[in-house]
Amino acid sequence: MSIKRKAAIVRYLLVAGLVALWEILPRAGLVPELFLPPLTKTLLAAAGGAGDLAYHLGVTLQEILVSMIFACGGGIISGLVLGASLLARRLFLPLMSGLFAVPTVVLYPLFTAWFGIGAESKIVFASAYGFLPTLLGTAAGVQTIDRHLIVVARSMGATRFQQIARVYVPATIPTVLSSLRLGGALVIVGVVVAEMLTSTAGIGFLISKYRTLLDSPNVFAAILLVLALAIAFDLLVQLLERRTVGWRHAMRSGTAGYA
Amino acid sequence: MTTAGTLGNVDVSDLSHTYAAKGQKSKALDSISLNVETGRFLSIVGPSGCGKSSLLMMLAGLIRPTSGSIRVGGRPMEGPDPSRIGVVFQEASLYPWLTAQSNVEFPLSLRGVDKKIRQARALEALALVGLEGFANSYPHELSGGMKQRVSIARGLVQDPPILLMDEPFAALDEQTRITMGDELLRIWDKTRKTVIFVTHGLSEAIYLSDEVIVLSGRPGRILDRVEVDLPRPRTLEMMSEPRFVALREQIWRQIKS
Repeated sequence: MSIKRKAAIVRYLLVAGLVALWEILPRAGLVPELFLPPLTKTLLAAAGGAGDLAYHLGVTLQEILVSMIFACGGGIISGLVLGASLLARRLFLPLMSGLFAVPTVVLYPLFTAWFGIGAESKIVFASAYGFLPTLLGTAAGVQTIDRHLIVVARSMGATRFQQIARVYVPATIPTVLSSLRLGGALVIVGVVVAEMLTSTAGIGFLISKYRTLLDSPNVFAAILLVLALAIAFDLLVQLLERRTVGWRHAMRSGTAGYA
Repeated sequence: MTTAGTLGNVDVSDLSHTYAAKGQKSKALDSISLNVETGRFLSIVGPSGCGKSSLLMMLAGLIRPTSGSIRVGGRPMEGPDPSRIGVVFQEASLYPWLTAQSNVEFPLSLRGVDKKIRQARALEALALVGLEGFANSYPHELSGGMKQRVSIARGLVQDPPILLMDEPFAALDEQTRITMGDELLRIWDKTRKTVIFVTHGLSEAIYLSDEVIVLSGRPGRILDRVEVDLPRPRTLEMMSEPRFVALREQIWRQIKS
């Protein structure tokens, strides 16, 4: 048996063990059920409130989707511009890096005051939360592009626009995907956290609500759902990344150009 | 794909290039004057840093010279013009996300050439460099020599009268380099383009060229123009003949001094 197989088996055993502990520890009274309800109770709570969960999941998903368009779409486009233009970089990058240090979450009370406690404030918050890391990641990635590829395009008479559309954009796809992965994960966190703080609907709202009711099984059911959401998103981006793996490898090993 | 007349003439007169590095002005090239007639194979050699690559970049319209003029086919160069000049760079400068065929089609698609014509011309160019079966391969699936063949096909696809080559075989192993030299001569013989070939390999320069331009160390000046009076087709055996050895020594002495 190969080491890889062995490691995989150990990994599955570990997960199985954790799942078993989740059931056994509270049942045996070693952990209060308020802190950790048994897995079966959590799943039963989830099944019992499936309709409710589905509704709130819908709300959360919608907020995530819109925020991702702003944060990832906006972040990637601005990152491309910033990475490609020295002037734009000089003007804005120090500002963006400075803003990055500001904990966005302290602005959330302001957002609720400005946009209400509905979906709008969640979207604004999560967009702001995911935007800067996506932008900075993309801009940094653009700067690592082999400049030689641009010289080659110029020698073939490419206009500035063609250089961006035909060289910068495809060359940055690997960077864009990893920025998307990071930004998307942050957007999910942003939406759920915002819902937990002040809101009327969404998975985060459910977590908050059940926590005040001391209804641990339902709190855990909602947490599981957020977990599933984050994992599903990550798998989706990985799937996209796998499609570019051939030439990404080629770019890394430096066969794309010369010094 | 044959070039006749004066379309492939290159006239460089009194070309100088100075650039600023770290606040200091540095002269890279000094009063270079050069005429190349259509269909000639010319090499440029010189010590590292003599500005031979800069000279090539200026001919390609990628760098603006500080003073002097460049005329190609009788008209001044005011920027990159792939219909007059094809450029082949050192090592593979192919786009890793495109297949060999799409890489060759790239300059045509920039000009909005119709897809069918583009395909036909790319396949023709790939056939010329001996890569018929590799149209759908990606660069990372090709060997170093094959990648350079694709680059040459890309340089030729618009059928420019002039091909500029910037140390195109420098990154290849010796055996592949020799094979590629013969391949290049075969392609040149078939297309009769003007070729300007920058290299640091003296034997390579003599083996391939009608004429070798020897540049001095920085700032680069023309030290000598050596006419290579060896018959064609060139063969590997010629490299050990007295005439070849004498030419090599003549060039080497000038570079060394």
